[in-house]
Amino acid sequence: MSYDGFPPFISAHLQYLLNHYPHTIQIEQARSGTRYFPGSLDRFTLLIPYCLDYMKWDVIYNAEFPLAAPDVIFGAEDEDFHPFHVPCGEDGDSRLVKNSLTDWNNKDPTRLLALVTELRDKYRSYQEKRVGEVDDDRLKFEISTIVSREKRLLYRYFVVTAFLCTIGISFLHVTETPVIVLQGIEMHMSSGVEKPEEVKFAVPLMNMNINKMVPACPWIHPQKIYLQVIYPVGRKYASVPSAPRLKLMCTPELKALFSIDDVKLPSWLDGMCMAEYLPHLEELLQRQVLEAVTLIDVRRQFIEALAPLLGRPLEADPVFCRKASYLVCSGPFTFMLHVFLSTNFPKQQPSLMFQSTQHFNSLGMPVKSPLITEYPWSPRWETSQMADRISDFLVDESLNFKRHCNESHLQH
Amino acid sequence: MDDLPFQKITISGPTLSALMHRITTSLGDVDGLLFGHVTHLTPSTLTDDNTPQNPDSNLIATITSFFCPNIPLSFYDSLGRVDSVTLHRLVSSTTHQSNSSSSSSNFLGWFSARRKSPIRPSMREFCVSQSLSRLKTAAKGEKDLNPCVFLLFTTPVQGELLYHTHEYRAYQFRVNSRCFDPKSIGIDNIGPDFRGNYGCFSPNSPFPELKCASAMNDEVGEGLNRMERVLNDQKELDMVAEGFSVKDLGKLMGSETVNSTMSLEDLYEKMLGKLDSLARQVEKSNAKVLDMENHNRKLRYKIARPVPE
Repeated sequence: MSYDGFPPFISAHLQYLLNHYPHTIQIEQARSGTRYFPGSLDRFTLLIPYCLDYMKWDVIYNAEFPLAAPDVIFGAEDEDFHPFHVPCGEDGDSRLVKNSLTDWNNKDPTRLLALVTELRDKYRSYQEKRVGEVDDDRLKFEISTIVSREKRLLYRYFVVTAFLCTIGISFLHVTETPVIVLQGIEMHMSSGVEKPEEVKFAVPLMNMNINKMVPACPWIHPQKIYLQVIYPVGRKYASVPSAPRLKLMCTPELKALFSIDDVKLPSWLDGMCMAEYLPHLEELLQRQVLEAVTLIDVRRQFIEALAPLLGRPLEADPVFCRKASYLVCSGPFTFMLHVFLSTNFPKQQPSLMFQSTQHFNSLGMPVKSPLITEYPWSPRWETSQMADRISDFLVDESLNFKRHCNESHLQH
Repeated sequence: MDDLPFQKITISGPTLSALMHRITTSLGDVDGLLFGHVTHLTPSTLTDDNTPQNPDSNLIATITSFFCPNIPLSFYDSLGRVDSVTLHRLVSSTTHQSNSSSSSSNFLGWFSARRKSPIRPSMREFCVSQSLSRLKTAAKGEKDLNPCVFLLFTTPVQGELLYHTHEYRAYQFRVNSRCFDPKSIGIDNIGPDFRGNYGCFSPNSPFPELKCASAMNDEVGEGLNRMERVLNDQKELDMVAEGFSVKDLGKLMGSETVNSTMSLEDLYEKMLGKLDSLARQVEKSNAKVLDMENHNRKLRYKIARPVPE
């Protein structure tokens, strides 16, 4: 993201916000409200993650009056959300109100972050209040049980950290976990003229720090898996409440390690509640994440096993071992072999792609083969055998690729 | 009129165009105060249909003038809390200026204009409206009217401004439910379609009441006193017409009315001449204001520049 076009003070605010906000925040539609300097951007839309979705909030600065604090316009469906409104009858106290806008200082780059954080916290309590007001017995029950579960987890966490402290394990080492734990459950009430009333929960799953489990982990933000649970708000006459809609979601970078789409969710039985459902799911996921972490090593061994046959890889993904490229010679013909490993390796065989170092197409790009996914393979083979079989396959296939290259070369 | 709903909010064509002109020529986002009056429509329910009508919804708010301080946060702070002292100063100076008989220009509410932003009230706009509505109910002003009108002007977030340049919406802030109630805007123009609106028209600058007219034919006795009165009246007349003598007013009535058409036309011409000279003065002072504004802008940029490290 470049901050070109923003006046220096806004760009300092933005830079600080993007670098320090615990989640990925995006800026869209930067524009200018000035008359004479349309290049001087002073308003933009912030995409702030909430409850597994994004809220679009417009932040309006005034480039002509840099000392004035910015204003915020919330989403069209949140017209009842008034974070800084002072309740009636407390006029005398309104001067004592203190928040991130009261003593705005445009020279302090941390201010926008403080404002966004405060507003998001207030939005969260606003949604919690709305959900709490829904007249639905099942929802009321779910909220009460789930909140107590959350409290229990928190309590357990504090007991453990306190214990670790007493036996002398550095507290700093563990403090990264509470950020994940404390995020807690987020809820959202969606209602509209055309949409049916629904309550959405984003339940963070598993009290484990996945970032810590991956050696040399490159992720800046903590990776997390969430269960999205959507309850249709019950009609009074429906005898049996319908099952909620469930969907697993995760932070985007986690996909390099673990494919959330491959997880088969346990079925939701009639009359079940979240507190019953979650432990099974968490157990299942925990096992699968642990397995996904061990699979990194399996992939690494495979990439290493190819090295004696094809030479050291030109390039390889060192953290997740999802991709490796080798330089291969077949007589005078040299080409590159790209090996793509899925998170399901070795169950799923690697995809291969050839890229010639000598042939180029009309656009000057090197000639490449389509992805090859069909060749002899068995997940039960030893790693060395897998490498051998691929090497064997290459002998024949490289000739085909060479022919393909020459043909396409002749055409031009 | 605690929290009665308006049927609609109307604004006169010239006021709206002046407001729009102010907004388009402003440097950045602007806001300001709205003045006007509230009229109670006599319901013409002499029809056969029996649909129950809301007796309260016969109120129409008419905006007739505005005041734009040209700087943001002029009468409220960054949280949207209204500063009653500043507000009072702005309101009283404006109402005093436009007319001493304040019946035609009550403080109705405020407007906000921001470029390239969504057309819905912002966080601060809500707070300002709420704070305004509370201010007046607490003080129970003589008119007992909440300044609850809010006009919002924006330009589209995306796209060229070739065809579609402005969007505007009117709201009434409802104290009890603490929300913006969208209202339709009627634009009053001159023409046969708007004849119905003329009934509630009252001029902003009526012709001054001159006592000397009756004293014209008085006996010459109290010479000095009379001279003084004539001088005073001349001064007042000079406010509306340029170079029209008080003595000539006599020609508009009484025995000398033979040439009254001529004299009346003369008076009108001189009144127009007054307007012309006023316009010239405004033009000159505008140039000065612009110079000062540019100077202020440079100073503002200077202040806002980050401190070199």
